[in-house]
Amino acid sequence: MKVYIYCLTEGTDALPNSLRGIAGAAVRWIDTGCFSSVVSDFAGEAVLVNRENALAHAAVVQSVFKQTTPLPFRFGTLVTEPKLNSYLTARRETLQRKLEQVRGCVEMSVKIVWNRNWTDESLHKDVQEKPGTAFLHEKRRQLMGSEARAAEARRIAVWLEDKTGEMVREKRIDTNPTEKLLLAAAYLVERGAVEQYRVRLKEAREEKPELHFLVSGPWPPYSFANIDLEFKSQFGVS
Amino acid sequence: MELSPENPRPAEPEIETSHVEEFVEQLSCVTSTLPSRINIDAQSVEQGLAKLVLTLIEFIRRLLEKQAVRRMEGGDLSPEQIEELGLALMRLEAKLQELKTQFGLADEDLNLDLGPIGRLI
Repeated sequence: MKVYIYCLTEGTDALPNSLRGIAGAAVRWIDTGCFSSVVSDFAGEAVLVNRENALAHAAVVQSVFKQTTPLPFRFGTLVTEPKLNSYLTARRETLQRKLEQVRGCVEMSVKIVWNRNWTDESLHKDVQEKPGTAFLHEKRRQLMGSEARAAEARRIAVWLEDKTGEMVREKRIDTNPTEKLLLAAAYLVERGAVEQYRVRLKEAREEKPELHFLVSGPWPPYSFANIDLEFKSQFGVS
Repeated sequence: MELSPENPRPAEPEIETSHVEEFVEQLSCVTSTLPSRINIDAQSVEQGLAKLVLTLIEFIRRLLEKQAVRRMEGGDLSPEQIEELGLALMRLEAKLQELKTQFGLADEDLNLDLGPIGRLI
C-alpha cells in the first residue's frame, strides 16, 4: 500500500487526534532519522484532483504549519514507504538545507494586475496595406507591447523589493504569468515580521493606486519547497 | 521545532484585495495551465498528445513571428517578401486555431510548466 505524503518536518509535534487527510484517512508521522513525514494511508493508484481532496491536503499542511514550518509536498504525491525512506536518505543534505532555508518563516503572496493597454496605438497602421504586411505590422505592435509590459513588470518587482526587501529572506517572482497578471510573487518572511511586512506592503500599495493587488498569507512555503519535481525525477513515482 | 518568541504561531491567513472578480478570473487562467494527470483512456491520451504537439507548434510559430518582425524592422526584406512572409504566418495562425478548435483546446491550454524555470510560453 502507498502512503499519501503531505509534508516534511524536522520533528514530530503533536497532530490533532481529529485530523483527517485525503479520503478521510487518519494522519500519522513516519520518523526517518533527521526527518518526519506527515502521511496517511491510501489504497488507490492516483488521487482525484477535486475540491474536497485539495482542501484535505491543505488542512493537514496548515495544521502542521501552526507548530512549525514544514516543506510541503505537491498535492497528489503517493509513494511506498521504502521508496520514501530511500528518497529521504539519498536527498538528506539537500532537504536539510531546504528546511533550514524555510525554518521559522511563512510564505506571503502578492499578485498584481494592471489594466493598461500596452500596445502603442500610435505605431504605424496603414489601412491601404496588403493583408500579409498588415498582419506583420500588427504582430510588431503586439510584440512591442508585450516587451513594454515585461519591462514594467520587472520595474515593479524591484520597487516592491525596495519597499519590503529587508523583511524578506527569499523570493520567487514570476512576471507576466497571464495576459492581465503583471506579477505573481511569493516572499519568505520570518513569522515574527509578518505584521510589519503587511504594514509596509499596505503603505507601498497606497503609492500606486493604478496597480490592483491581491495580497495573501501567511501560507506554508509551497513556492519554496519544490521537492515534488526532485522526487519524480529520482524515482519516477507520483 | 517548539513555538517560541522567535518561532511564534503564524497569524491566520488573510486574503486581501479590492478587485475580487478580476483576480478570480486571472487565477482561473493560471490554474488551467497547471499540469494535470492524464487518464489512460483513448480519448484523453489523444487530447493530451494533441495538446503537447500543438504547444510545441505554437512555441515555434511565435518564434517565427518574432524572427519575421525582427527581419522586417532590420530592413532586409523587400515589400513583396514582407507580404509573402506575413501571409504565410497568417495562414499558420489560422491553421493552428482550426486544430485547437478541433481538439477542444483554448489558447491558455497551449503551455507547459517547466518547473523551476517557468512556463514554455
